[in-house]
Amino acid sequence: MRRAAQTLSLFLFSLLFVLATYTLPAWLPADAYLRLDPLLGLSALLAGKAVIPRVLWALVLVGATLIVGRFFCGYVCPLGAALDFLDVFFRHRPRPGMRREAALRQVKYGLLALCLAAALAGLSLAYLLDPLALLTRFYAFVLYPLAITLLNLALDVLRPALRAAGWIGLAHLHYPQPVFYMTVVTFLVFAGIIALNRLAPRFWCRYLCPLGALLSFLSPLGLFRRRVDARGCNACLECRQACPMGAAGEDPERTHVAECIQCRTCAEACPTGAIGFPAFAAAGNAPWRAGEYAAPEVSRRGFVAAAAGGLAAAFLADRTPFAALQDKRQLIRPPGAIPEAEFLRTCIRCGECMKACLTNTLQPSLWQSGLAGLWTPRMEPRFAPCEQHCNVCGRVCPTQAIRTLPLEEKTHAKVGTAVLRRERCLVWAEDKLCLICDEICPYNAIVFRAVEGYRRPVVIASRCNGCGYCEQRCPVQGESAIVVAPQGAIRLGDGSYIEEAKKLQLEFVPDPGDDRFHLEQPPGSAGERGGPGGRAMPGGPQPAKPKGFL
Amino acid sequence: MQLPRPGRTRREFLRAAAAGLAWACPVGPAHAGAGDDFDLVVVSGEPAAATRRALDALGGMARFVRKGQRVVLKPNMSFTNPPEKGTTTHPAVVATVARACMEAGAERVVVLDYPLRPAQLCLERSGIKDACRGIAGVHVLALEERKFFRPAAVPGGKVLQRLEVFQDVLEAQVLINLPQAKSHSTTGVSLGIKNLMGLIWDRWSFHSRHNINEALADLAAALRPHLTLLDATRALVDNGPGGPGTVQNPNLVIAGTDPVAVDAYGVGVAPWYGRSFRARQVEHILAAHQRGLGRIDVEQMRIRRETA
Repeated sequence: MRRAAQTLSLFLFSLLFVLATYTLPAWLPADAYLRLDPLLGLSALLAGKAVIPRVLWALVLVGATLIVGRFFCGYVCPLGAALDFLDVFFRHRPRPGMRREAALRQVKYGLLALCLAAALAGLSLAYLLDPLALLTRFYAFVLYPLAITLLNLALDVLRPALRAAGWIGLAHLHYPQPVFYMTVVTFLVFAGIIALNRLAPRFWCRYLCPLGALLSFLSPLGLFRRRVDARGCNACLECRQACPMGAAGEDPERTHVAECIQCRTCAEACPTGAIGFPAFAAAGNAPWRAGEYAAPEVSRRGFVAAAAGGLAAAFLADRTPFAALQDKRQLIRPPGAIPEAEFLRTCIRCGECMKACLTNTLQPSLWQSGLAGLWTPRMEPRFAPCEQHCNVCGRVCPTQAIRTLPLEEKTHAKVGTAVLRRERCLVWAEDKLCLICDEICPYNAIVFRAVEGYRRPVVIASRCNGCGYCEQRCPVQGESAIVVAPQGAIRLGDGSYIEEAKKLQLEFVPDPGDDRFHLEQPPGSAGERGGPGGRAMPGGPQPAKPKGFL
Repeated sequence: MQLPRPGRTRREFLRAAAAGLAWACPVGPAHAGAGDDFDLVVVSGEPAAATRRALDALGGMARFVRKGQRVVLKPNMSFTNPPEKGTTTHPAVVATVARACMEAGAERVVVLDYPLRPAQLCLERSGIKDACRGIAGVHVLALEERKFFRPAAVPGGKVLQRLEVFQDVLEAQVLINLPQAKSHSTTGVSLGIKNLMGLIWDRWSFHSRHNINEALADLAAALRPHLTLLDATRALVDNGPGGPGTVQNPNLVIAGTDPVAVDAYGVGVAPWYGRSFRARQVEHILAAHQRGLGRIDVEQMRIRRETA
């Protein structure tokens, strides 16, 4: 039963992950698992100092845990399921077992205290250790690119046969290969967590997982309890051997109830069938022996130390040149990203936006904005642009660090401004015929002006959305001759981007007359910005012809 | 399409494999068929009706497509805009031609482009995928991978010696070009000849390495559609090729077997960038004409005008 639930949950988690693409229907929450996670929610809430409606979903899990107990870890958590399934690699060898079990068990409470204290002081740390963020990240940066590679490989192998069979659609099927920075780092973190199973089953869940720790605080109120029938128990300690969480006590009749994930492995292992999980009302009655350890077992000293550590980390993270330079050296964030300081606090680095990104321009950061910006999404326009008709990154963001915006709003969520570097531009520096940036610009933000007898590209900053198509397509080798700078980016925590753009007098709707005007400027007029009044001056020099005409 | 294979390329084995395929496609300068008393058909009307009328006037699709042949249609579906933006071929034009090909007995019709924007989004937002859905034997594909291209030589090319062309084009017996009429910031206008750039892999060298107008004339010599049907129901008269720009409605479909003649007429359907031009003023069309690829003297052409 438990295996089935875990399999189903892992499948559902994977399915939702796969469905996170720009075709995602509006009603489908692809980030449902992350929304349900109370640790991510609480951390974002404390760090961002704002109530995020979407994270209120986590109350569902909180409520369920209060009622049933800590079932999530044993039945639902996809990382828990993955750890259980991958345990086949470790099961056959004897495990050393952990000597200081009780002390180790406390580590997760310490980590939880550390995360929450850091969040309280404005540093998001929960993402590092939260199982759902961790697994989503592993899926996004490792598993997903690998799966696409294998899929394409299979298609390539079959292609000649498909072609011969006349299955045209399949014969031309190819999935764009996503690539990401940080794939190796993400993999190593995940592999490390799996490898810990060598020491003890579910090592991660037992000793480290802060989400498990958080749920432990709620579970002692739960409806179902592990109970031992004292008449049947022969104190063989099989249950203690079998329990993957170390929840069966040193005295087999007692239970570390905070650690118990109700997986019922102990009940299966018990040779006399003396273990049951009665509902709360019945649990006090005979034949069950009431036996529980105080829950959860946290030493005050450890807790205080961890909390102090979290606060210290948060203060230090805020006192770096990265933080001081935040305004000047912003990265190009996805459209709809809330203001940078809040963004760093709210983003849980799950990677869902980067997975869903239609063009693959969203990439995880390493050090670009300091430790506080690890794995945060940034645009890499030289590699890929932001597509005008896509708004999926905000729609799949579980904490709304990237806001869900209708397409029209998203168009106005300027992420930066293209800056033309004349010393590198083929037209400006070498008098070559090149108009690729103009050709591709979806916002018509690039116009041509006659300068020194030559039509040369110029960026109209008020029309540029920062999408990066120009930077990506620029044929100059190496760094692009036109680069998107964060200059002029609009970052709003709430309110309308359209209104804001209007206030700033930005016009993302093109003025069709503009190109014509500049085309008709006579060559050699040195490119001054004439008003419309300068158009077609009677008696002036004959206008130059548009390019391509003789 | 039969193309001479390039000599001594690094892709010897591919070439050998490709050479093993039997092409049976008589491609010459396929100008007006014998018996035609006109060079061009110009039909005024709504996209679907005008397209149908144009095909009828040319003698029906059976003239171009025989039973069991493979057909490639090359519309412009390079942008993620709906048809009213004037950047892509009208879906009704594509669907009408595709249907006519299947009715003429084609084995299959592949609607093909190498788009400038994300492929799936182009197919969806241009409306072409939807319009062709449900027509048996018709496949709409936007491909962005080099593995779908194969090398081909350019006979007598001035600036291009070899190209990489869609394998499906090389293996098809019939190529029909379905360009959208629009302005183009580099080549002045983008009509039939310019539309062919969506069938080759290395188009960026056209901009960065070659004289694009000469390269286009080479391309027109290498890839010769059997029929060109220019969609000028809407014309993007400035800010082309991607727009957004001014869209006019000439409401015309221009069809013919001479690709240069169709383009030459197309230059006159709208004022580009606010000015009227003659075909001879468009550098790449003139270059194609000078290579002997077709007529440019619109005034002397016999034109059959109809209204749908």
